[in-house]
Amino acid sequence: MTAGMKALWEIESLTKYFPGVKAIDGIDLKIYPGEVHGLLGENGSGKSTLVKCLSGVHQPTSGRMYLRQRPTIVHDPLTARSLGVATIYQELSLVPIMTVSENIFLGHLPRRRGARIVVDWAEVHRRSSLLLERLGITLDPVAIVAELSVAEQQLVEIAKALSLEASLLIMDEPTASLGMDEVRRLHELVRNLARQGCAVIYISHRLDEVVDLVDTVTVMKDGRIVASEPRARIDLARIVSLMIGGDFRSHYPKERNLTTDVLLDVRGIRTARSAAGASFILHRGEVFGLAGLIGTGRTAIAHALFGIDRVAGGSVRSYTGRDGGRMSLFRSPREAIAHGVALLTEDRKATGLFMAFTGVHNISIAKLARISRLGVLNLGKEQELAREHFEKLRITPAASDSSVQYLSGGNQQKIIIARWIFSEADVFILDEPTQGIDVGAKVEVYNLINALTREGKGVILISSDFEELLAISDTIGIVRDGEIVEVKNAEDMDKQDLVEKVFVRRTV
Amino acid sequence: MARRVTSSSILGPVVATVVVTLLVGFTTDRFFLVDNLRNIAMQVSIVALLGVGSTLVIFAGGIDLSPGSAITLLTMLLATMLKFLNFPLPVAIVATVLVGAVLGLWNGMLTAYLRIPAFITTVASLSIFRGFAFMFNNGSPIFSISNSLTPLFYNTILGVPFVVFYVIGFFALAAFMMNYTELGRQMVAVGGNPGAARFSGINVKRIIMLSFVLAGVMAGFGSILMAARLNSGSPNYGVGMELSAIAAAVIGGASLQGGKGNVISTLFGALTITIVQNGLNLHAVESSVQGVVIGLIIMLAVFIDMWRVEMWSAVSRLGRMVTRDRAGERDRR
Repeated sequence: MTAGMKALWEIESLTKYFPGVKAIDGIDLKIYPGEVHGLLGENGSGKSTLVKCLSGVHQPTSGRMYLRQRPTIVHDPLTARSLGVATIYQELSLVPIMTVSENIFLGHLPRRRGARIVVDWAEVHRRSSLLLERLGITLDPVAIVAELSVAEQQLVEIAKALSLEASLLIMDEPTASLGMDEVRRLHELVRNLARQGCAVIYISHRLDEVVDLVDTVTVMKDGRIVASEPRARIDLARIVSLMIGGDFRSHYPKERNLTTDVLLDVRGIRTARSAAGASFILHRGEVFGLAGLIGTGRTAIAHALFGIDRVAGGSVRSYTGRDGGRMSLFRSPREAIAHGVALLTEDRKATGLFMAFTGVHNISIAKLARISRLGVLNLGKEQELAREHFEKLRITPAASDSSVQYLSGGNQQKIIIARWIFSEADVFILDEPTQGIDVGAKVEVYNLINALTREGKGVILISSDFEELLAISDTIGIVRDGEIVEVKNAEDMDKQDLVEKVFVRRTV
Repeated sequence: MARRVTSSSILGPVVATVVVTLLVGFTTDRFFLVDNLRNIAMQVSIVALLGVGSTLVIFAGGIDLSPGSAITLLTMLLATMLKFLNFPLPVAIVATVLVGAVLGLWNGMLTAYLRIPAFITTVASLSIFRGFAFMFNNGSPIFSISNSLTPLFYNTILGVPFVVFYVIGFFALAAFMMNYTELGRQMVAVGGNPGAARFSGINVKRIIMLSFVLAGVMAGFGSILMAARLNSGSPNYGVGMELSAIAAAVIGGASLQGGKGNVISTLFGALTITIVQNGLNLHAVESSVQGVVIGLIIMLAVFIDMWRVEMWSAVSRLGRMVTRDRAGERDRR
């Protein structure tokens, strides 16, 4: 379909360096009108950097970009917008208390003729209805955004992006938090847009999902394009191997330290948020992976075990050093920590780090009792113990006397892990421990998990990265509606099995 | 290096204190007189004690607008106990501090457990405490309450007023608590990130409540000094003092977002305000103008605090440019 057609955007030997890193390295790419262009690659392969050059967020270090054969420099996001580039990121930028149409026209609400300071609400609603209709979105323009589902909010986001004329729509992992039905709806919308002549760059790391949607697939790895092919010639197997390079398990350092000593025996634990009740057994040295989509109750299980949510029923017996088969339903995190349970939350900023604290203070905070007598802290001992953790976890020495806000995501995450090692926990619940950290830091986190299991600790791993979950876990529990519906040996599963188990039955 | 400078929160307030001292000292000839310095010490003492409490509450992420009214109520209570009920002085003092703690407990319970925003709770308390103060002695001031009370404020050791020792003592205690105790560490943690504090096993509500209780205790001590200074209790004492206390904390660099600051800095904040007031008095500036000046100083302090990082990088950029220019000149030669 692209033969003889003129490219909308043409990118020529585009390169972007960040201090110490070549994020993208000599990219050549053509984007045609009406084309859905899939951009695939692992985290850190340079997909996001590439589109951020197009959307004016980053300035390329070298290389050229042409819009309709004219050399073009995209100075900033505003310029990109005026050049017809609309971008939708994973994070939504909507105002929750406003209506759909207010959000769509936020910043450029139509005004009454003759009275420019008065918003023409009739016009707002007429135009947003028209826009929604054109996009094939069935949403009430006067619905309050906060009351919509995440998927619907995403549709509003798209409508907002397209409320100004756009010739190129960039979508950065738009389906990360969507269910199957919602993904299908989104894809319909994308196809609809392409039919109207809009070019779409669709970033994803989920190959299976993209393959039916796109006209062209471009695969990136380590900042370069390793393949760019029209759909007709897409060879799934080849692309997978290009992307992940053979057996993904070999990319993960995994030690098997699983023993038969029971550490935690969870039976039918229920909270208000997860009614069904989860049961599983965690052994010493085991990594128990919880697999499921966002909102299926993986985090609810973690919160129930850690004493955050009030447990409505069920029982937990812990066989940690302190408790020989004792009933351990904790009423507060304080109790949970005292009995050797640790929770690394998925949101490092909101519930993890104390940004104004130094690394040392961040490490000791969950178990100050370890360095104090009668409530008085022994700061020398604190420094000494924290230093040991810095060394053991290879945390940058800068963390010892500067506040953690200046540290990299990887160092920040390691500091929280150090906090829980400092707390002398036996059960480590890790909720998305590698989210938002670079590849090198991820490997370090995996090595830390190995070190924990080697010492006979138990790890409950929650991850949306299926490969990571399969490779690092010894056992996988499939979570659906707060219930663990199936427990399997991780080695007996491949990615296809897991994807099917997590996704497929949900839509039945 | 830049990090170190921008995160040190005591340098700014010390510089501010030195600057205003020099300004006032060089523009009048009476500033450095012993009597005037003693006067400043006495003036600063009550605000400084209240400032300790306000700083603790701010550290823990709250705000306390009620200590001025707490002082009002507590001076009336103390005066009543001493003059009309003939309580022995030590008993009356202990009772005043305890009631101060109860007032703080009230603020803390409402804020921490009923989750009413601290601002609202303590504005309500401001009104409630003052209302209670008017219920004593039919709302009239109580004069010459006890001759054994005033020496607590006016006595000196080797020429140094007692109040100086109180202030140093309380700040030393507060600094010890913040730097060397679990409670202090947990307070800053709660103020800095309540979510993370909860997930770290800290009883967030209890800590918030305790910060208010301690502020109440400081108001109790402040009211004793107030009553001792004037040998009386009055429903008109303490008006507006909460703002001076908060100003002292803010000039001292305590972030109103909580979780950041240095309690010793509050002392320098209180000194800065008091010295400015003293200087304005020595220059016979009208009190209406004084209010404006103090307000502007608070704004300036917050402004500097907010832009400290940016200003520091601008200064160092300027420095680099200058050195580069010099290098350029050398090259041209």
